[in-house]
Order: sequence, then C-alpha cells, then structure tokens
Amino acid sequence: MEHSSDKKDAGTSSVVNGHCDAGMVKRPAGGPSQPPAAESGSQRPVIESWREDRTRSVEDNEMSLPSLAAAYTTILRGLGDDPQRQGLLKTPWRAATAMQFFTKGYQEKIIDVLNDAIFDEDHDEMVIVKDIDMFSMCEHHLVPIFGRVHIGYLPNKRVLGLSKLARIVEIYSRRLQVQERLTKQIAVAITEALQPTGVGVVIEATHMCMVMRGVQKMNSKTITSTMLGVFREDPKTRDEFLMLIRS
Amino acid sequence: MEYQHDVEINGEDKYQNICKHNGLCKKEKDSKDDTDSNKLSHIEKAYTTILSELGEDVDREGLRRTPLRAAKAMEFFTKGYKETIQDILNDAIFDEDHDEMVIVKDIDLFSLCEHHLVPFFGKAHIAYLPNKKVVGLSKLARIVEIYSRRLQVQERLTKQIASAISEALEPAGVAVVIEAVHMCMVMRGVQKINASTVTSVMLGTFQDNPITRKEFLDLTIRK
Repeated sequence: MEHSSDKKDAGTSSVVNGHCDAGMVKRPAGGPSQPPAAESGSQRPVIESWREDRTRSVEDNEMSLPSLAAAYTTILRGLGDDPQRQGLLKTPWRAATAMQFFTKGYQEKIIDVLNDAIFDEDHDEMVIVKDIDMFSMCEHHLVPIFGRVHIGYLPNKRVLGLSKLARIVEIYSRRLQVQERLTKQIAVAITEALQPTGVGVVIEATHMCMVMRGVQKMNSKTITSTMLGVFREDPKTRDEFLMLIRS
Repeated sequence: MEYQHDVEINGEDKYQNICKHNGLCKKEKDSKDDTDSNKLSHIEKAYTTILSELGEDVDREGLRRTPLRAAKAMEFFTKGYKETIQDILNDAIFDEDHDEMVIVKDIDLFSLCEHHLVPFFGKAHIAYLPNKKVVGLSKLARIVEIYSRRLQVQERLTKQIASAISEALEPAGVAVVIEAVHMCMVMRGVQKINASTVTSVMLGTFQDNPITRKEFLDLTIRK
C-alpha cells in the first residue's frame, strides 16, 4: 500500500512518533473518517500532543492482515524454514495479529482514555503510581523492550483516575518506540491533561535488542527520566519522588 | 548424527531436502552463500511492508534503516539453522575415566516462539553421566545455542538438546531442564507477567533411577 499523497513533511520527521506532535502519515481512503491533515512543512507544537489523532482503526487492522501475513511468510522462507510445516502453518497470521497488538497504541487517543476521569480535588501533595509494567517494541530492531514505569505528579486542583496513568503508559508504549521519547510523551500527556504543578516519569527497561543480539549484555538496564515543572526546578521534590519510587 | 523424526520436526527435510541433520550441511551451506544476500533483501522488503501496514511512516528518521536492521536481527535469531553439531563438537570429546554426574547450569537461553515470532528466554540446566567420554563444558552451552537460535517450541528444544548430547557422547544418562518466560504470553494474549514454563527431558539413568534424577534436581533447581 502506498502512503497517501497528502503525506506531510517528506524528509522532516514531524510525525507523532518522531516528536511530540500530532498527525502521522495518513492511510489512503478505505478507512473510516480521515483525521485532518496537518499544515505541510510545519511541526505541530508539543502542547497539542494529547489531542493527537488515531492513525489506525480496527477496520484498518483487518484490511492490513493479508499483506502482513504475506510479508511474514516471505520472512519465514527467507530465514530458511518451511512455512508449510505444521508448526508454522498459521504463524504468519498469528505473528501479524501479534504485531498489530504490539502497536495498538496507534489506534488509541489520550483524550478518549482520559476525558471523564479528571476530578477536582483540593490535594496538592505528591501522587505516585509506581511499578507499572511496560512492554514496547524497539523501533530500530522490532524486538521487545520491557520494564517498569514510575510516575509522580503534584496536582494543581485536578487529579486523575489512577489507572489512567497506566493507560497513558499503555497507549504510548504499544508503539514502535525509543525509550527516551516514550518517557517524554508520557510526561507531556499528563502535563497537558491536568496542568499539574509538576510531573516526573522514570522508566527502567531491558532492551532485548541488547540482550539477545549485538553486544549481548544480559543484565543491563536502561533508565530514562523526564522531570517537568516543580520536579525539575526543586531538587527536594525530585529527591522525594526518587526516594519513594526506590523503596 | 541422524535422528529421522527430528528432521521432520524443524521442517528442514521437506525444505532443504538434503541432509539428515537438523540444519544445513556444510556443502549445502557453501552453495547457498551467494543467495544469502538475496534472502536478506527479501526479508528487508517484507519488513518495509510490515512497517507501513502497521500505520507507521517508513521514511521517518528512526525507521529509515529499520527494515535492514530487523532483517539482520531476525537472521541472527535464527542462525542455529546454519550450524551443525558436528562442527562444534568434533574435537572436544575426550576420553576420561569419570562416571559421576557433570552439570552445567544457568545457561542463558534466547529463542523465538515459532507460533508468534516473539522471543522467549530463560535458563537451561544440563547434566550427563559420562560413559568414558566427556565433552568440553562450553560445548554444552554451544549445543543450547545451536538449537535455541531457531524458530522453536520449548518442548522440542529441550528434546533436541538432550538427543544431541546423547548421540554425541553415548553417556549413561542425560538430563535437560529449561525454565523460560514466553513473551507471547506476557506481552499479549493472556498477559500473565510472572508465569514461566518448565520443560524437562530425562534419558538413560536419569529416567530409570529416581535417586539420580533427584540428585540432579536438587543440585540445579532447588535453591
């Protein structure tokens, strides 16, 4: 399938998984209502990220399945195995569906997940949700990344349903990702949804592309963090957050 | 070494239609070298299709060389197809008058689920009772590598490792236990994060004698 001709910014990566702005390449007609195209040659400001559009729908998934399965059959043959043997007969379809599941974040919008779970509370102490299991796919090797996410924020009259923090993690992690970008996207989404006094996100993950191949270091972990607002400006707040997630 | 049933299982017989090993023979390997880069470019094109069908922009900076990297990664994950047991074992079998249990445990293992093409990884514990012949210890880990770097099912992987050692050394007994976590169960589907799968194959004395088996299990699994 070719990309539609109104693909914007050929050559610059202003697509959502390249930076925190909206509007990835649009699928050609055949899917449901197309999201509006961004102005060509411009980058949407970060502030819009949580309103980003879906780039894929359930119907798109069904339509892509045959070509995905055909691609996987080619891969199996290229690797030297026999796609006709019993264990591999339905593998192209299973692998295609699995890969669609691993990238289901493209089908979801932050705004859908959050809209009705923001509450007015007179609470201004730190709220932390830690040890959120996270599974993502490395965009460079298409191999899993998994680990834990710890999120903390200081509410400013508005709090968020706690599971919604985990759902934000799900939306952004179920994509082809780079750990640095994932951390930032989560922090920015929470900031834009709640306008809190500060947000801190720490991700600790194992990259299978480093463990299973390449340098093959089994025990290595990658840690990234994004601190916004008072978490960035006030070292004591940051320290409190880091201590609480470590305990 | 020839074990007919295994040739069918990993499909090599039907596809390659040459040797009885569970992988390519050396001469077959040589004749296929010139088509390897051809195969790589097919796999690369397949990955480009996959990326665009998933809704991504294949021209964005992070994804530009991903099809090639993913193809090479996948080839690395299935490099076991190109290796043979004979290549790695031939010069490392020694005559020793030792008949006590030899265990190599906690061998890190990484494989690909043949049903979903998603990794599974864990540890293998191997023991054997030598019968006048011992094998270089790292060769046990290399046998694990050859069979695990393929599209596998954990049950078959365990059995292939045990059979290979059995045929190479003709020991009094062989035991292989694999404990692994399957990403296809953790990242998708039923999504059970802490579940792990344990499979074992006991041959010879390990199968017949419960005390020998217990000794092995006590030394490896029970902490």
